[in-house]
Amino acid sequence: MITRILMLVVAASLALGGPPAAAFDGEKALYEAAKKEKELTWYTAHYNSEAAAAICQGFEKKYAGIKCNYVRTTAQVAYQRLAQDQKAGIAQASVISSTDQGHYTKMKQDGWLQPYKPKNVSELVDAFKAFNDPDDLFIATAAGLVLITYNTSVVSPSEAPKKWTDLADPKWKNKVSIGHPGFSGYVGTWVVQMKKLYGWDYFKKLEQNKPRIGRSINDTVTMLNAKESIVAAGPSATTLESKAKGNPLAVVYPEDGAVLMVSASGILKNAPAPNGAKLFMEYLLSREGNEIMVSQHQDPVNKHVKPMTGGKSIAEVKTIRPSLAEIEKGIPEVKELFRETFGI
Amino acid sequence: MAIDAARLAAGAATPRRRWRHFDRSVLIWALLVLVLLVLVINPLARLLWTSFQHPDTGAFTLENYAAAYGRWRYIEALINSVVVGLAAALLCVAFGVPMAWAVSRTDMPAKGLVWAAVLGTFIMPNYLGAVAWILLAGPNAGWLNRAWMALTGAGAGPFNVYSMPGLVLVIACYSFPYMYVFTRGALDLVSSEMEDAASTLGAGILRTTAKITLPLVLPAILGAFIVVFLEAIALFGTPALIALPGRFQVITTTLWQMFEFPPRLQMAAAYSMPLLLITVYLFWLQYRIIARKGYVALTGKGGERRLVRLGPWRWAALGYCLFVTSLSFFLPLLVVLQAAFAKAWGRGFSLDNVTLRNIRFVLFDQPATRRATLNTFLYAGAASLIALGLALAIAYIVARRLVPMGRALTYVAMAPFVIPGIVLAIGFYAAYTSKPLVLYGTAWILILAFATRFLPIAYTNSDAALRAINPELEDAARILGGGRLLALRKVVGPLLRRGLAGAFILVFIPATRELSSAIFLYTTGTQVLSVLLFDKSDEGNFELLSSMGLILVVVTVALVLVGFRLVGRDFLLRRTAT
Repeated sequence: MITRILMLVVAASLALGGPPAAAFDGEKALYEAAKKEKELTWYTAHYNSEAAAAICQGFEKKYAGIKCNYVRTTAQVAYQRLAQDQKAGIAQASVISSTDQGHYTKMKQDGWLQPYKPKNVSELVDAFKAFNDPDDLFIATAAGLVLITYNTSVVSPSEAPKKWTDLADPKWKNKVSIGHPGFSGYVGTWVVQMKKLYGWDYFKKLEQNKPRIGRSINDTVTMLNAKESIVAAGPSATTLESKAKGNPLAVVYPEDGAVLMVSASGILKNAPAPNGAKLFMEYLLSREGNEIMVSQHQDPVNKHVKPMTGGKSIAEVKTIRPSLAEIEKGIPEVKELFRETFGI
Repeated sequence: MAIDAARLAAGAATPRRRWRHFDRSVLIWALLVLVLLVLVINPLARLLWTSFQHPDTGAFTLENYAAAYGRWRYIEALINSVVVGLAAALLCVAFGVPMAWAVSRTDMPAKGLVWAAVLGTFIMPNYLGAVAWILLAGPNAGWLNRAWMALTGAGAGPFNVYSMPGLVLVIACYSFPYMYVFTRGALDLVSSEMEDAASTLGAGILRTTAKITLPLVLPAILGAFIVVFLEAIALFGTPALIALPGRFQVITTTLWQMFEFPPRLQMAAAYSMPLLLITVYLFWLQYRIIARKGYVALTGKGGERRLVRLGPWRWAALGYCLFVTSLSFFLPLLVVLQAAFAKAWGRGFSLDNVTLRNIRFVLFDQPATRRATLNTFLYAGAASLIALGLALAIAYIVARRLVPMGRALTYVAMAPFVIPGIVLAIGFYAAYTSKPLVLYGTAWILILAFATRFLPIAYTNSDAALRAINPELEDAARILGGGRLLALRKVVGPLLRRGLAGAFILVFIPATRELSSAIFLYTTGTQVLSVLLFDKSDEGNFELLSSMGLILVVVTVALVLVGFRLVGRDFLLRRTAT
């Protein structure tokens, strides 16, 4: 036991120091089997298209001889395509990465997924393990936060909202930007969490400020950069990426908790490249894979990989999140409430 | 006219005369009608069937219609869409018709610039234009509002893009090129003789234009009106960016939510079916308006066309053209350029904020973009050729009444435009993933989808072009013993060629920016630029979105210019002798 811990520590320090991480058990055999399949296709709604491309490239580099094809879309489009494939009996995708928890429940129920427990799951941030499927049909591979974001050229750090309830302060009237739960799973989860914390009254108060409602949560980044709104409930990765370019943006980790989004990936039962898919799942959890995610301003899910500069590690932040059951039951409910309160 | 009369007469006297009298072209018409039915009816019928299917059991049901029309919210969105569509189409008339007239019939200066700006407008993807307009006319920080406040000292600007008028304006800005091109194409064919007749009788320029010129091109204006109306209804990108923050829904934003989990495809199909009825009604109306009048403008005699001398008013005409194109092209282009060359566009204009990094990244560092660029133009080109060839044939069949029930074909040809692309994609998918035509995963599914989707534009154009040709011209050839195909080749073809270059562009450009059907049909290796662009618009990465949009605009303009040069058409509006 002690030697194992020692080995882990050594491995961790090695990883931080730069050299490639240790291989997992059976990597070689899996690689050989995957090479015979030549390529794999990944339907993904995680990250943006640059990050998806970078991860595929990294995978191809590490596992030469396997081609990685990504189809990066929004979660609903990814699911819709998959549903069409399944209906038409077409085996196209091997791995699916959606951001909508409801998709996984339905895919599981419909028997579209096959179980696989990646060896690298041991490196997953412990807090995320609760989001893995008990039957190993889907595993958490991506994380992100919904935070308070603002435009620094108009709002000083001391003025900026500190907690979610501050967004309803009349001083931000006509200046707040949010997304729409009918269009974005991130926003849906955030709305469910806010309702859980403060009741629906929170949104009735927020409506007094006449928030600008975009479609996706990423629309808040555009609103802030345009100064059309100056404070927002926005995403961590996209906001920090835009900030890294030099845009006048900043994030606040709310005192009452940043809303944590954990998104899973799964292997399809009819995967044309089942071994490639398993290898790819390992890669999504691996240190190399996560270092690429970080270089693309995404939050890592591997506990040994440090987050990007300018952002905090999810482990250091107070996070809040509704349970899977609450999300599934809550999102359809809050969509209706949202429409009543905001009129769209 | 290049009709070889002697040869035709000789042909009529040969022993194969009897066979000649059988119009062999009938077989070709029948085949073309069949192609049309397969291309359009196949996906639409599957969609119709879907709208009656129970989501779980697949049994016949009316529940989907009850669900789709049982809520006031959905009906309200429908009404909003119709209002937006009508208002946008009217605004397009106000924008496009005077410009077309000024360019085609007057001695207004700088016509090349105006045409280039219209072309640029047409190429710019509408969601890019919409984002640009948010920056221009956002109520809190829009550039126009800030300029207004600086000029007048007022506390707030007058513009608010997040409103019904805002949405109408932005949609009209990116749809008026249809109106312009249709109208101009028709105006170019009107000879001055009729106008001269009016002038001789003492009518002034305005009266002549209103009483003679414009009525002659009414079919083209009506055709464009319908196209613009239908496009406005089926548009998704612009309403998603403008209507939602403006707190109202339209058909497409409502439909999009039906695709949210759990997806209600059957309900979405049911929701969009009545749009077909609206289309049928519009065409019936068009038919009623123009049926009893003659709109034959192009006769055998090469009518002379002279430019109307506007005197000092020509500067006013140019002013109006530049005003409209500023709204649609120059101002949004400024926004796009700023973002495309900015390290961080949120920092605004400043020299140390300028970089080529975005452009370089898109062009060189991202292999996906290059592939997608190539695919985009390849597919759009192939789709345009298919759509145009088919449309022309069908329009001809309808115009010359070559098959029974010809008018019904009009509705068939126009139907694909009105079903919003995201819904139509379900039909395409169903049609091309099962036998007899399994095309999924190939480029052909995209090409056929684009061809089907833009068939209506090709059709409207071909129809307008054919209406302008007096059938007597063909009759002359046939009286001399030529078969229909010969008359087509030697008479109709040469007369149409001029209009067809324009029609090709009209199909090609929307096909390069088509998003809603592409998003469900592409696979690895068959991405197109619009899909990549849309992803960017959803990722809050406006610098890259602008760079890719800019590249799309620049490459398309270059291709169109080269195309015109190759075809040798009068791109810069030199008059050609008929």
